[in-house]
Amino acid sequence: MFSWPPPAPFHEDERSMTMTTPVAARPAAPDPTPSAARRHGGRNRREAVTGWLFMLPFAILFVVVFLIPILVSIQSSLFAQQPSGDGLYGGGELVDTFVGFDNFALAIGSAAFWTGMGRVVLYAAIQIPVMIIAALFLALLLDSFIVRRPGFFRLAFFLPFAIPGIIAAMMWLYLYTPEVSPFMDYLPEGTDLMAPGTVLLSMANMTTWTYTGYNMLIFLAALQAIPRDLYEAARIDGASGWQIATRIKVPLVRGAALLAVLLSIIGTIQLFNEPVIMESANPWMGKDYTPMMLTYNSLLGAVSPSGTGIASAYSLLMAVLAGALAIVYALLQRRKGDVA
Amino acid sequence: MVRSAAVAAAAAISVFGLAACSTDAGTSGGNGEPVEITYLHRLPDGEGMTPVSEIVDRWNEENPDIQVNATKFDGAASDMILKLETDLKAGNGPCLAQLGYAEVPQMYVKGLVEDVADEAAKYSDDFSAGAYSLMTVGDAVVGLPQDTGPLVYFYNATEFEKLGLAVPETIEQLASEAATSAAAGKYIAAFTPDEAQYWLSAQAAAAGDEWFTTSGDEWKVDTEGEGSQAVAALWQGLVDNKQVVVTERWGEGFPAAINDGSLIGHVGAAWEAGFLLDSLDGTPAEGQWRVAQLPDFGAGQMTGPDGGSGVAVMKGCEHPAEAMEFNAWFNTQIDDLASQGLVVAANGTAETSEKMLRQFGGQDVLAELAAASANLNPDFVYAPGFSSLSKMNETASGVADGSATVADIFATAQTTAVATLEDLGLPVSK
Repeated sequence: MFSWPPPAPFHEDERSMTMTTPVAARPAAPDPTPSAARRHGGRNRREAVTGWLFMLPFAILFVVVFLIPILVSIQSSLFAQQPSGDGLYGGGELVDTFVGFDNFALAIGSAAFWTGMGRVVLYAAIQIPVMIIAALFLALLLDSFIVRRPGFFRLAFFLPFAIPGIIAAMMWLYLYTPEVSPFMDYLPEGTDLMAPGTVLLSMANMTTWTYTGYNMLIFLAALQAIPRDLYEAARIDGASGWQIATRIKVPLVRGAALLAVLLSIIGTIQLFNEPVIMESANPWMGKDYTPMMLTYNSLLGAVSPSGTGIASAYSLLMAVLAGALAIVYALLQRRKGDVA
Repeated sequence: MVRSAAVAAAAAISVFGLAACSTDAGTSGGNGEPVEITYLHRLPDGEGMTPVSEIVDRWNEENPDIQVNATKFDGAASDMILKLETDLKAGNGPCLAQLGYAEVPQMYVKGLVEDVADEAAKYSDDFSAGAYSLMTVGDAVVGLPQDTGPLVYFYNATEFEKLGLAVPETIEQLASEAATSAAAGKYIAAFTPDEAQYWLSAQAAAAGDEWFTTSGDEWKVDTEGEGSQAVAALWQGLVDNKQVVVTERWGEGFPAAINDGSLIGHVGAAWEAGFLLDSLDGTPAEGQWRVAQLPDFGAGQMTGPDGGSGVAVMKGCEHPAEAMEFNAWFNTQIDDLASQGLVVAANGTAETSEKMLRQFGGQDVLAELAAASANLNPDFVYAPGFSSLSKMNETASGVADGSATVADIFATAQTTAVATLEDLGLPVSK
């Protein structure tokens, strides 16, 4: 579905666990006194060099695949490609012209962009809660002792994520197409899973199918980091299995839930594979169904205004909005945490 | 976390803009050294076809001074444009590349193609005038045409005879025969919303309209002229009276209607002859279909361009004259190109393949298609930004449930085309 930012879920989990778990144990290193630091100055410097060397592969990749593209994208958002002349076909050449924030003004004023944004937000509002709850449920199930072979189920639930997004989308497209679908015949006559009113839900179903297992793994990792003696203590206090799940496990994976939801929000804003494939069979959706499609197709010239300038402006606007949504969600969660 | 994820989102998107960088040996030239020409195409090169590499090898053997290096691009046409744009800006683009006719003006505006009018003029007599004009941008000519997509009429002759239908020669007749056959539960045409952009603009061209003309130094856009209105009236009537199949051309509905025998006629592009009837092989319907000229849409024996492409000389090509020499030779290898499923733009008729003879009951299909190619409206040209008119398909999909009319599709074309020209910074009169 989306090009996920490469996450580091498990590190993140550990960190959030240390924040929420009372039994977090961090070896307390004695603070070196100033004089000690001076004495070890040479060794420290050598260690610093070694540290930077270890950092180097990461730093290079970070600069090449992160910083440079972002800077290029910011730069190109400030330029527009305009014809060099004023003839019927311009001057037979385009010149990059500095236009300041014109591209952003166009992007912010674009009805297609906000309509698309509205669609993905609606989509997120339905799909993310369903997926997160399902993932949490599956994770709790696997973490409990009810399931005999958690290894097998863990793999089975995760498997859809291993299927490339475009392939999965095509597969679902076939499943939704009445002429070839194995199950559409059994649905009530006239059911159209790709009509204007249903296509968002159909796509939400595709995403949920793909990413529930992935989010389940995030939860499972968090669940397994919970010290088992907490459960024992609870049992001794007379807690039932259900109480352990709802009073201990769920509150303790809140950090993981925050991460999963944040990743999902960002992924959903970039919704692309599913609508592109669906649009290929349902042209009514248009080339600008989601902001990501709009961006891509304005780069290709299939929607106007087109060009790298406006496409970069759309991308940056999307990044800002995704960031804003994520921050809002994180703040809401934190406030809820303080109150609780 | 939040910030880095948002940053990642931006990075992931902007990578699109940086993709597609390839290295490529520059053309060498000068004294005694053979000239090297690179050529990027997206011909199918399928089974049973004469591969492009084989045709090019023949040229290379005969022309030691001009060595051509052909590369196939696997991917969508729009992706190839993006690759060309990126490569050319990086200074390592090919010398020759295949471009859809509707993409040509846009490429010229972007400064990605060379004006080779003088060279092209030498070879113009070898090609269909309508196709040649599609490689023309104002006074500039950017290359030579390769294949054409004139609209033609496919029909099942056996079923037509059974129902006593005449092969329609005018759109009035198309409407009346559609009514007759619909009464018998058969349909002699399909309305295909996903093809609206090229299919309907080609019909307007067949009706004698020109969508893009110039007045003074400005573009004049008229997608709602008399021809377009006639086309709209025809299909609106057929759709309203349920006398045509309304289905996506590239969905499952269309082949299903062909296979179950309910669809017995089709207004389609000439290149559809290469595969339209494949699913009927081995069924009783095999060999029952024929192809005919498009009915008279009001401008006599004229048809419009639905697809097709040419080979253009890219900006920065160091040897445009030699490139055009190869271009002219390559695009007149009509039998080889016909084997790729093309309706060749060069004059002359290729031999109809075994497969087509079988599927069309022995008809000389390519002769019929060549006649259609010669009937192309020579005045219908595309304006820059025509690709954005895919918006027409969006409107067209509302025709089935009545939420849009066929005339609305042409109205969409009008507003989109004007807005796109304005966005491109080109002069357009309103």
